Amino acid sequence: MDTVFIGEHLWPGKLGQFFVVLSFAAALLATLSYYFETIKDKPDGSWLKIARSAYFVNLLAIIGIGTCLFYIIYNHLFEYHYAWAHSSKALPVYYIISCFWEGQEGSFWLWTFWQSVLGFVLVFRAKTWEPPVMAVVMLSQTFLASMLLGVEILGIRVGSSPFILLRDAVQAPIFARPDYLSMVADGNGLNPLLQNYWMVIHPPTLFLGFASMIVPFAYALAGLWQKRYTEWISVALPWALFAVMVLGAGIIMGSFWAYEALNFGGFWAWDPVENASLIPWITLIAGVHVLLAYKHSGQAYFTATFLTLVSFVLVLYASFLTRSGILGETSVHSFTDLGMFWQLLVYIGVFKLIAFILVIKRWKYMPFSVKEEETYSREFWLFVGAVVLGLACLQVLATTSIPVFNKVFGTEIAPPTQVIAHYNKWQLPFALVVAFISGFSQFLKYKKTDIRSFYVQLGRAALIAALLSGVAGYIAGIYTNPMFMLLMFSSIFSVVCNAGILYDAVLGKWKLAGSALAHIGFGFLLIGAMVAAATNKVISVNNSGIGFGQEFAKDNNPRENIILYLNEPIKMDKYTVTYLGDSVSGPNTLYRVNYKVIDPKTAKVTENFDLYPNAQQNVKMRQIIASPDTRHYLWKDIYTHVSSVPLKEEATHEAHEGHSEEEDFGKPTIYTVKLGDTIAVRDAKIVVKAIKKGVHINNMPLNSSDVSVALSLEVLSKAKTQVVDPVFVIKDGNVYDFGKTIEDLGLKLRFTNIKPQNNSLELTVLQRPPAEKKWIVLKAIVFPYINFLWGGTILMTIGFFLAILRRRKELKTA
Amino acid sequence: MKKSAILLIGIIAVAIGVIISTYADSSTYGSFNDAKDSAAELHVVGRLDLAKDMVYNPKKDANYFSFYVKDNKGTECKIVFTGTKPQDFERSEQIVLTGKMVGEEFHASKILMKCPSKYNKDQVEVKSTAQQS
Repeated sequence: MDTVFIGEHLWPGKLGQFFVVLSFAAALLATLSYYFETIKDKPDGSWLKIARSAYFVNLLAIIGIGTCLFYIIYNHLFEYHYAWAHSSKALPVYYIISCFWEGQEGSFWLWTFWQSVLGFVLVFRAKTWEPPVMAVVMLSQTFLASMLLGVEILGIRVGSSPFILLRDAVQAPIFARPDYLSMVADGNGLNPLLQNYWMVIHPPTLFLGFASMIVPFAYALAGLWQKRYTEWISVALPWALFAVMVLGAGIIMGSFWAYEALNFGGFWAWDPVENASLIPWITLIAGVHVLLAYKHSGQAYFTATFLTLVSFVLVLYASFLTRSGILGETSVHSFTDLGMFWQLLVYIGVFKLIAFILVIKRWKYMPFSVKEEETYSREFWLFVGAVVLGLACLQVLATTSIPVFNKVFGTEIAPPTQVIAHYNKWQLPFALVVAFISGFSQFLKYKKTDIRSFYVQLGRAALIAALLSGVAGYIAGIYTNPMFMLLMFSSIFSVVCNAGILYDAVLGKWKLAGSALAHIGFGFLLIGAMVAAATNKVISVNNSGIGFGQEFAKDNNPRENIILYLNEPIKMDKYTVTYLGDSVSGPNTLYRVNYKVIDPKTAKVTENFDLYPNAQQNVKMRQIIASPDTRHYLWKDIYTHVSSVPLKEEATHEAHEGHSEEEDFGKPTIYTVKLGDTIAVRDAKIVVKAIKKGVHINNMPLNSSDVSVALSLEVLSKAKTQVVDPVFVIKDGNVYDFGKTIEDLGLKLRFTNIKPQNNSLELTVLQRPPAEKKWIVLKAIVFPYINFLWGGTILMTIGFFLAILRRRKELKTA
Repeated sequence: MKKSAILLIGIIAVAIGVIISTYADSSTYGSFNDAKDSAAELHVVGRLDLAKDMVYNPKKDANYFSFYVKDNKGTECKIVFTGTKPQDFERSEQIVLTGKMVGEEFHASKILMKCPSKYNKDQVEVKSTAQQS
């Protein structure tokens, strides 16, 4: 039975799916052709011609996939599952690009796109390396293309296509209707947390980093394969530096996004997804250092090869961790499984196997050095540094892989309960050693160093570092903790040693500038990360919590959230903090929170600023998504987010006819009063002042037998005193009264009777129930010296960039 | 002894240390009954009981949140968390709690929710004003 569906646009999806299949076929053809070109005894370029054409078809197909997907999302074609699941009509155009990486398919596309852009450079620049290197790259392209296929082969579904239709992806009765599309109102929308400018640039940077890790890997494989054992090292070096630079920048952007847009209150949480991207970065950093050691001294060949190879395998492992759903219970932000568990495993398996087989086959040809490194040589300490980095990596890998271990061995081990403490306990000493080595190895030369001059330089730098770190430790307030002080010392030591090198560089040895800057940046990064993580202070501590039993006080639990009522200042640390109201901007509600510092002696306001932490309220889901706002100073940040706010009601209760005006007032209270009496109500006092007889009432002509009496009441509230005159009328034997309402007090006063027999008056008071006082629950943290972390990263990135330039120049002149 | 040998011993020693530490610091998954017998913190996986009271009243105490969870063995327990109610809490399908028993209450130091990814929610929201033709 074929239903003809109304309003569907099928051609962009069909075209897109065509490109998907084309990109897979072209990648496969390019892989094979490059392979045959490589193994041919006398290459005549015929295979190369096919390979290159196939490569270009692959590139065009990938661009075609991206264009079709963009078209679908841009035009809100919700008949496609991807558009429906990841976008909505209200989404601004510049975030459409973010929809690409909210889903797995889009992020695979991003990866394959970058990989083919890198391939473009290789096709034109790699010269004799092109066939073997591109064979490896295109093999990886083939795997990535297969992730997007979404077709069934022999009953197994391969990949997941971004062009699948909503009615095929989701089972629901409405899809039986030909006009179902007219009933699909809007897409699910982009996760609000991704609607942040950092999320527009963080994933592309990260994926460019991941994608570029394949190039040094491919060179290493090509080197072994083509028996150009030592040649590949110099060519791969700039690529390895590029990968490390981009991946590092990508990781830190993610960290900055987490700090600026997420409310977990920090910049690094050792979440498995974060670790997964950090692990290959560290191994390739180690790799870069031993590549240099080998290049300059002929030592550590195997370590260099191993680290280069393993880094890419770890990239694949990282994507397996985040995409297969295996992290399940241990990570907050991994993707859900799309049924590609085995496909991802095959991807890793194939690359691991190729690398392993080549290493074994070429083992006996590898240029192992017979001679041991000198202790006082740079290559030895480059090697030791790489080993320490490798061990640091092993630790992160071991704990992150607990869920994998469980899956393989059927165990049920849970990750450490104090995850951050567990990692820090290990990573702090590793960082300390690495920083120290990165400092003193600057004074060592390749092969052999003059010991005396080495110790003189070392001693001088250590002395300066000891003095500086004493001062810095005192200022930062970490001097009571010996481990922190040691790390401070070794970080500053590294900065001092490398600053010396940088000084030389400025004086003329420009080629040294890259490494010196990168190491200085690394030193600052460590200082910033340690101080900010160790001394950040929650200032919204609320120890006045009451009422829920005493057992709480015993536990020493930090009570890190505080409630702020509108316009009621609360003192936090040195700040007087006031919640001043909220405003709505798009989907966000911005809460205006004022911070003031008042000098206790002069009572002058020395600092005064507003922060606007915001929350997206989703009325339907009855949830809020809070994003922080941060006041940046040079030496510290004040970070604030709302952790709870009153939920807005879905529909405001509309006033409509048929309701009496008094309905929203509470029950009337009847007082019997005499002149001069005072009645106390919630926010005011009412004094019965006087009676005025014979008052004239508009539109109500009265004759002589009628009575009209006004009661003069003085209402005293905190704000002001006002006089009102409710009126009591008897006309033609009927009783009326005209009450008075005081809006700002929520009061209505009615003069309802006169009892001449005991000379008393009846006053009826109605009062609105107290309005809900506006409140927010807030968390505020001071992060000291965090700019060292960001600044250090920027320096490091610039350093890597200079190093790439230097190594490229060496290639040309060599 | 050669330097490389010393280095190798060092590497192996640290690597063993890392593995032991990973194992020593690791925790276990258990039930509320296991938690009663254990002084250390552990992980309990369970489901939120929406029928029971969930208390978060910031006006009284902005750092007290309590709710009920049924663990995978079916035991139900009151959970107390020092902090605010996490966003999106009611919609969580599965909850991983880290903490320990204090009397009859389980005091959680960490709550991890597994939400049905909104993208996998296999429901299509239908326009309410759609014409019935």
